[in-house]
Amino acid sequence: MKKERSKKHRRLQLVRVGVQAIFFALFLWLLLGTHFTGEDYIGNVEAFFHFDPLLAVVAAIAGREVFLAFIWAAVTILVTVFLGRVVCGWVCPLGSVHQFFSWLFKKTKLLRPRKVVTGGLWWKYAVLIFVIIAAVLALDVVGYFDPLSFLTRTVTTSLLPAFAQGAKIVIGFAYGIGLEGIGDSLTQGLEKLTINGTFQQGFLIGLIFLGLIALNIFRERFWCRYVCPAGALLGLMSRANIYRVKVDEEKCIKCNLCTIQCQTQAHPWPDKDWKSSECVYCETCAAICPTAAITFPSKLKPAPLPAVDLGRRKVVLASLLAVFSVPFFRISKAGKRPSPKLIRPPGALPEEQFLARCVKCGECMKACPTGALQPAMTEAGPEGMWTPVLVPKVGYCEYYCSLCSQVCPTGAIKELTIPEKTVFVIGTAWINKNRCIPYFLGRPCIVCEEHCPTSPKAIKFVMVEAKLPDGTVATQKAPVIDLDLCIGCGICENKCPVMDDPAIYVTSVGEQRNPKNQLLLKTLE
Amino acid sequence: MDRRRFLKDIAATGLAAGLAPASLRGGQAQIAAYPDIGFVQGESPAALAREAVKIIGGMRRFVAVGDVVMVKPNIGWDRTPELAACTNPEVVKTLVELCTEAGAKKVIVMDNTTNQAQRCYARSGIAAAAKAAGADVPFVSERRIKKMAIKGEWLKDWDVVQEFVEVDKIINVPIAKHHSLCRVTLGMKNWLGALGEPRNQLHQKLDQAEVDLAAFFKPTLTVLDAWRILIRNGPQGGRPSDTKLMKTIAAGVDYVAMDALGATFFDIPPAELPFLDLAAKRKLGRIDLEKMRIEKRTV
Repeated sequence: MKKERSKKHRRLQLVRVGVQAIFFALFLWLLLGTHFTGEDYIGNVEAFFHFDPLLAVVAAIAGREVFLAFIWAAVTILVTVFLGRVVCGWVCPLGSVHQFFSWLFKKTKLLRPRKVVTGGLWWKYAVLIFVIIAAVLALDVVGYFDPLSFLTRTVTTSLLPAFAQGAKIVIGFAYGIGLEGIGDSLTQGLEKLTINGTFQQGFLIGLIFLGLIALNIFRERFWCRYVCPAGALLGLMSRANIYRVKVDEEKCIKCNLCTIQCQTQAHPWPDKDWKSSECVYCETCAAICPTAAITFPSKLKPAPLPAVDLGRRKVVLASLLAVFSVPFFRISKAGKRPSPKLIRPPGALPEEQFLARCVKCGECMKACPTGALQPAMTEAGPEGMWTPVLVPKVGYCEYYCSLCSQVCPTGAIKELTIPEKTVFVIGTAWINKNRCIPYFLGRPCIVCEEHCPTSPKAIKFVMVEAKLPDGTVATQKAPVIDLDLCIGCGICENKCPVMDDPAIYVTSVGEQRNPKNQLLLKTLE
Repeated sequence: MDRRRFLKDIAATGLAAGLAPASLRGGQAQIAAYPDIGFVQGESPAALAREAVKIIGGMRRFVAVGDVVMVKPNIGWDRTPELAACTNPEVVKTLVELCTEAGAKKVIVMDNTTNQAQRCYARSGIAAAAKAAGADVPFVSERRIKKMAIKGEWLKDWDVVQEFVEVDKIINVPIAKHHSLCRVTLGMKNWLGALGEPRNQLHQKLDQAEVDLAAFFKPTLTVLDAWRILIRNGPQGGRPSDTKLMKTIAAGVDYVAMDALGATFFDIPPAELPFLDLAAKRKLGRIDLEKMRIEKRTV
């Protein structure tokens, strides 16, 4: 028997790597471009999301509304029905990340598959069932597992800020050794990327990412095999694929290398056991086969459907688990009363609808020009973890900017024009007279008034008397809030010279999306 | 500057000196030859700026061949030109052109903005205009901010953006605006844009801080943009109705006098403004406008 690997499939494998690189670069390019670039309206930088059938399904179920942009998911579905999970193997940027690290771990001998691995594949179907059942009960947990949301959030709140920190070290080094010119141009280049560098949970989100990467040491593409609900959904669709694995029994030396090295446990040999729902068409088996026995011929008449690796009991168990766990997410004071710190971006839907649609992808956080939007921890209750919340101590809502509303892939933040945005009330400013410089120290300040962006300004002046420690009285201009004009943008809090605990601060009361969180009875006027 | 232009300049100067009345010749008299302030009204911001600088001697009086020049507009806010919160981009562009024509090696235009820098630079129109004229328009980098001795009467030291002190010449191009604390913000207040944080704290003694900063930065030339001034809701405005079209640009060497002139656009007698009073008492410049030579032209 002549021993020779298939040149054609080795070439295909390289093509696949090239295609993965292109889509990953496209994903990163769109994400890096998600910031103010000089225009008021930014275009479809969130396009990737709309090709995701999992998000399309969950957004429709949890949001009780069909979001038209998700029509593009039909493309992915069509491709998957006819060609199998090629999107997982060739397109998905998170899949590429996991595959890259799996490859790296294999090359460094950290990962050495030696025997055929079976079982465990059902986990991702259980995750899918959990996500869908939760969506039926209007609990949107898809964002924690959806690969695009996962990667966008991780890159935005963790990897890019870390990159910026690292770049600053390099720049500091360049200055340190006297390369001022290089330092200056690197600084300006970094400035143009406008990376938000402060995220209150960047460390945690980064740690989760690293943990999942590390799991590739145990199994190649661990995430894609056992966790990813989007992969599971595509797996359910890819059962009548045109291209099906075929092992030439005459050539086959039964070394089992194909099945051992399979990226996703699809079991190419014997080919009757091949799982079309798991195969991502990475071409590894066909390329690695020492006798070129493996091919993927096309058959116009689909072969019988192999069963997905999921028993009826597991379906029932996963469903029941979902049904019973959803109420736990709701045991929280979050639904009872609005949190003062839960300042949502302008255009955010009423809280219940917002939570049902938000996939915690962090696109809005990437777009925010001041880094004001932060992943929530406890502000919005358990089901609101990592949803965007405006933290004025970090940044403020730029008056003429509506980028967050434009880039939201699921419509959790309704798209606003700039004129709509400038009158959209997200909260109300308050003054802590015990800390405000004119009120308490009797000295001039007015920084909040100077920065208030509305015209006429929502911060006005009154003359106040401050009693000073020496018994004298100082009269000074002090700020007061005009509630009819304040939109809660938070620039006053952000710029207040009282650094640790600003003397002017914004809370969510008055936010126009919530009639139960109002202060003024406008109906009486 | 090349040799040919140098020779031409010498010839022109000689000719001018020859033709000028005898009283204007000689070292001292040469300076007195120029009016204190060039005050121009007309229909195009660019033409006004050009004429105003010409009245007080032309840019070659201020910029030498090979100089690195900073043109410091107000780019503090994310506002478009018709809202008069930032310096008129045409004026900035013209000044960059004038500097280049005078032989400047490099012209830098920058400001430490209040709103997001990218937005202010782009939406004020200043970055595009200045770049079109060949200027460098860098963002402020935290690496380039260092604590410096201001040596003012009140302000002893503060973080300063290094570009502003490294250049050979510095031209201040403020826009005249209403301000709730110091009533108007003009040239001296514009220096807060050359500082690092927490500059907001300077508001506790803003008038004194402005004067100390102006004495520290000592601009070679001040060009006051009053093409469209902000008369209320300052220093940002927000509606076109907050502005007033004055179609005026003025230029002068005495930065205190320039601010005194600016005050009159708001019908405020200069002596009423504490920062001008302080500056005049420190003899940093004059505020007695009625005694100055202000040459007014219309183009």
